[in-house]
Amino acid sequence: MASLFSLPNELVLNSLRSSFPCRDQQIRSLATLLSIRGAPPRNIVLHGLEATGKSAITKALLEALSSGPTNTTANGDSEEEHAEDNLRHAIVKSAECITGRHLLEQTVGAVASAVGWREGVRRCDSLSQLVVELGRLFEGWTSDRTDGAKQRFVLVFDGIDNQREAPPTLLPALARLGEVIPNLTSVFIVTAPRPNFLHFPGVPHIHFPPYTKAEILQILSLTDPSPKLPEGAKDTKDVWIRFGSAVWDSLAKHSGRDILSIRSVCLRLWPRFIAPVLEGTHSASQFSRLLLANRSLFQNDGVLVPSIVADTPTNPTPLPSSLQHGKYRGIGAQLPYYSRLLLVAAYLASFNPPRTDQVHFMKAAAAKRRKKGGGTALPKGRPGVTKHRKISRKLLGPQAFVLERMLAIFHAIEEDADLRAKAGRGRERTAGAADIQMAIATLATLRLLVKVGAANAGDTLDAGSKYRVAVGWEVVRGVARSVGVEAEDYLAE
Amino acid sequence: MSVNGETSSITGFDASDHQPAFIFTPSAIEGAPERPAKRRRVGRTSAPDPTKHAQAFRFERLLNGLEDTECVGLREELFKRHWAKTEERIQSILGESNEDTLTKVTSFVQDVAPTEGSGIVPTGFIVTGPNIASQGLLFEQLSERLKTEVNGPVVTLRSGDAANLKAALKQLIRDATNQRAVNEDEGEGFFERDGRKLLNYDLEILHGFVKLHGSKRAIVAFQDSEAFDPGLLGDLIALFSSWMNRIPFVLLFGIATSIDLFRERLPRAATKCLFGAQFDVEQTSSVFESVFLKVIAGSEAPLRLGPALVSSLIERQHNHVQSIQAFISALKYAYMCHFYANPLSVLSDNERDSKSLLKLLQSEHLEAIRMLPSFIKLVENSVEKHEVTLARGLLEDDKVLLREVEKALDSATQRVITILRTMHVLSSAATGPVEKIDLYVRAFKGSLSDSDTVRAVLDSIKRMAPDALIAFIGRITKAVENGSPELDLEGWLGEETEFLKEITDIQGEVTSLVEEAVETGKPVRSQYAIHSQGLRTTVIAQKVQLSYEKSTLSKQDIKYTALIDRMSNLLKEYFTFEHPQDLFLNEVWLYDSLSPYKEVFTPGSRLAIEQSLSAPYHYLPGCKDTGDAFSSSKPATAILYQMYLESGSLINVSDIWTAFFSIVGGEESEGYDERTALMLFYRGLADLKLLGMVKPSRKKVDHLAKSVWKGL
Ligand SMILES: Nc1ncnc2c1ncn2[C@@H]1O[C@H](COP(=O)(O)OP(=O)(O)OP(=O)(O)O)[C@@H](O)[C@H]1O
Ligand SMILES: [Mg+2]
Repeated sequence: MASLFSLPNELVLNSLRSSFPCRDQQIRSLATLLSIRGAPPRNIVLHGLEATGKSAITKALLEALSSGPTNTTANGDSEEEHAEDNLRHAIVKSAECITGRHLLEQTVGAVASAVGWREGVRRCDSLSQLVVELGRLFEGWTSDRTDGAKQRFVLVFDGIDNQREAPPTLLPALARLGEVIPNLTSVFIVTAPRPNFLHFPGVPHIHFPPYTKAEILQILSLTDPSPKLPEGAKDTKDVWIRFGSAVWDSLAKHSGRDILSIRSVCLRLWPRFIAPVLEGTHSASQFSRLLLANRSLFQNDGVLVPSIVADTPTNPTPLPSSLQHGKYRGIGAQLPYYSRLLLVAAYLASFNPPRTDQVHFMKAAAAKRRKKGGGTALPKGRPGVTKHRKISRKLLGPQAFVLERMLAIFHAIEEDADLRAKAGRGRERTAGAADIQMAIATLATLRLLVKVGAANAGDTLDAGSKYRVAVGWEVVRGVARSVGVEAEDYLAE
Repeated sequence: MSVNGETSSITGFDASDHQPAFIFTPSAIEGAPERPAKRRRVGRTSAPDPTKHAQAFRFERLLNGLEDTECVGLREELFKRHWAKTEERIQSILGESNEDTLTKVTSFVQDVAPTEGSGIVPTGFIVTGPNIASQGLLFEQLSERLKTEVNGPVVTLRSGDAANLKAALKQLIRDATNQRAVNEDEGEGFFERDGRKLLNYDLEILHGFVKLHGSKRAIVAFQDSEAFDPGLLGDLIALFSSWMNRIPFVLLFGIATSIDLFRERLPRAATKCLFGAQFDVEQTSSVFESVFLKVIAGSEAPLRLGPALVSSLIERQHNHVQSIQAFISALKYAYMCHFYANPLSVLSDNERDSKSLLKLLQSEHLEAIRMLPSFIKLVENSVEKHEVTLARGLLEDDKVLLREVEKALDSATQRVITILRTMHVLSSAATGPVEKIDLYVRAFKGSLSDSDTVRAVLDSIKRMAPDALIAFIGRITKAVENGSPELDLEGWLGEETEFLKEITDIQGEVTSLVEEAVETGKPVRSQYAIHSQGLRTTVIAQKVQLSYEKSTLSKQDIKYTALIDRMSNLLKEYFTFEHPQDLFLNEVWLYDSLSPYKEVFTPGSRLAIEQSLSAPYHYLPGCKDTGDAFSSSKPATAILYQMYLESGSLINVSDIWTAFFSIVGGEESEGYDERTALMLFYRGLADLKLLGMVKPSRKKVDHLAKSVWKGL
């Protein structure tokens, strides 16, 4: 007599546990719920932050359960009775589904190939059709089972909470699939579930908590760094672990603390860290000396920003300071003269409140401004109002402005730029010129100016279109100097 | 900003906009079978045939319509021939300029090995600089190249194609799967799986395609990356990364600003998935220079641009656009204008000799020649040289004129080449880098000899030690020997006699001086070198020191100083030549009119509208300038515009109507009645609204918001 309940094979679990350390409890609960003679619920929710192993463990476990030897079970039941047990699974990644409809199609497709359906599958563009279609597939599958054998299908919706263009009834409907279709378990992998988000009571939740430092280090020890130390594999591992701990303490503690980021940071820094050892100047046994020698590596937050370009020997990863410095020098030097001036005007329009425009850009005020150096001569209209706003304008970020205002500012600073840049450049009529409009359109295409509001509301060059500048102060100051304008002179505050 | 977009927006603006109702006029004549237009593939056939269009366009007869048809035809042919050749040269330079990038990117795509299972997409970042116009050409070439060299689909996406994720994927899949002719037996199996027809934005299709053809790479190029919505790009990248284990994606991004700026805009989850290499495209300015030297300055250029036009072109490049394409169209326009409007351009046919060209000339042509500034100069010169008979002959006798024309035509090429050679010698003689375009401008302004470059060269000679002078002369001889491939100049060692002989002579003498000096052990210095040293060492005893130094000049020193003076004079003379724009008949091969270029390439659209609204009497015949801004003789729109200018940012419609009616209406006989005035008022306001100047305000009822200010 086959027992109704039996736990999954310990062998399988052990191998899983060794490849995914620190997830003992989660693996065990999930295996209990999913294994064919376990305690199958209709729905399971797995939740946890990024890179906590939800997808990886579910996939590995299901693969092990559906192919693994089900013939020897934990409580020593005889083989034959369970030989026909059949667990199949399908995983649908929401990240790969472009629309809600696509998700349904993918689901049907995945299930069809998992149960080995040979006949055609119909189109499936609504949830009710999905139910019908799945019912058809499962019927075909269950009809050819042998008596006494158990059948179960596990359908995994990975990242279903981030599904694009999902119909509002998607989740509740999927949670009810198990009611209509027997032997089906749906697994929902989400980041942070709202209470009762499936509108279905009594669903078991398995939490995948973020890893602690010790756990991270344990998982990290599974990775083999390259290059190896000359002392051998064991020493390499030792140094690797201690190195990982140092990286965690100095860099990852405050940011980028998930296993994937820290692993990639470690792998990236490792060759530089052990370079002194390979060169023979330091020995691997003196770890603290090595750490001191590489002090600068750990003080550089720049490595936390994932670099997207390979470091070439001629172009090593720039240190933060040089990064700040040389960042946009290119763009400033490459843009044509009037585009640069327009960019400066856009910055001023974004960061100066419109009511100070008169002070900064009226011709009569020019002489006064130069003497006082900056826009301190704010109108003392309502002191109460200005006093309340203590936050600096720069901190508030760029504000939207209408194109016409930027043009006015442009013409105001253009005169100054021409006065100051005595490069012998003949003055040109720029008012109303199509070239200026083209320059604005180009800046908008390059997204140095960003259009505010609906994407297709109004033309790019419509006088009423609103824009915001998308470059920072450092850049603008450099660009302004290159055209002979001191941007500070015009900036309020 | 595409040209197409512009034309279509203009065509949408036609007279029917003002009609109160749409009147349907069936274009088909009765009896024609009523057939609905074919749904598919009509685009190609219905487009106007370009050749037909070209046939309809003919060059006009010039010279008051008296020009021979043969000459008209010849001008047209010349334009076509010359431009075709020039364009070919430009294209080959552009092709070469991208060659380096193309090779590098191709080998990157071929060699890059995606790391298994990491989900990282190999990516090439092609930094093109802010010249968006040239990205098109580059990516076209790139996709051609990749298609031939890499096994796999190559798709280029532009921001215009990709409004959202679905549209971008559809485009991507369609382009990729269209790249192979479908074999009969293979079928289009990848459009379905397990009998299920896939959605047309499902990457499964691409997966099937890649599997079927055994593709090694699936290349997706984003031409104008910055113009894409960053969120959309992020989604796409994440999606590609998720498919990396099935489809071997390689991404290429065309970046106009900088990689860092681009990375900052992308969502962080997306940047994590990208890793690759950066490729820098040759800078526009250097490409620009080589194009310029080849097709405008080069010895084989059929038409040269004059200094005024060139400076203005360069200035626009610097100030507004940095694009080769804009420069090429300006150049083409210059060619067009020259051959279309200048009857004497027939003389620039380099395939006929001057004799047969002269046969073409009619008496009207000769009349035209007598109007040329360069002819006037010629006559003036001959009068100055007291050759009065020649001057008189030129003015009165066609035969004398023809003889002179023939002489000018025969010598023209040689003269230009002399100028180019001088430029080349100068740029190789100069010690620092030389702005070659600037040199060209100065040479054709006739002011090369007092340019900074020449002065710097002459100054540097004075301070040269003998060895340096020998090397300097060596450089010049080398330049003469090798010519300049940039300018299509061949070496002219065999031809140049006077100048070369002189400088080799000097070189020889200096060498012997040096040899003497080695024997005596006393270095040779020129007076100038000693002079400057003396000045530098003592300040107080300047005078004493100087005379002291002078008296110690050895014999060799004096000799060397003389040589240097000779060299300096020689060069000064060499760099001085006649103003090219004074050469007789330079108008045939030199084009220097600024105004057609300015009018066509630097329009002031907004300025024009403002002008015409505020001063309509410049444009309309029935309207007189009365000096009164609110004259009722102006069109209604212009009157309203004037009121618009004087009002604040919110305009009360009722007020403006009252003001308007008080101007156009009135009890006097010529005033309009209220109904007509109201109609005019509405029409005027509608015009202003159409021009984007007013729009209904949400702040206050019955008010209009003013959105445009004058003079910006
Ligand atoms: N305990 C662990 N032991 C070994 N590797 C682990 C462990 N936890 C996570 N990983 C590794 O981290 C990576 C990310 O895991 P996974 O994709 O499963 O995260 P996730 O929870 O699904 O994240 P997301 O919410 O972003 O989808 C995997 O490559 C996995 O190998
Ligand atoms: Mg996951």
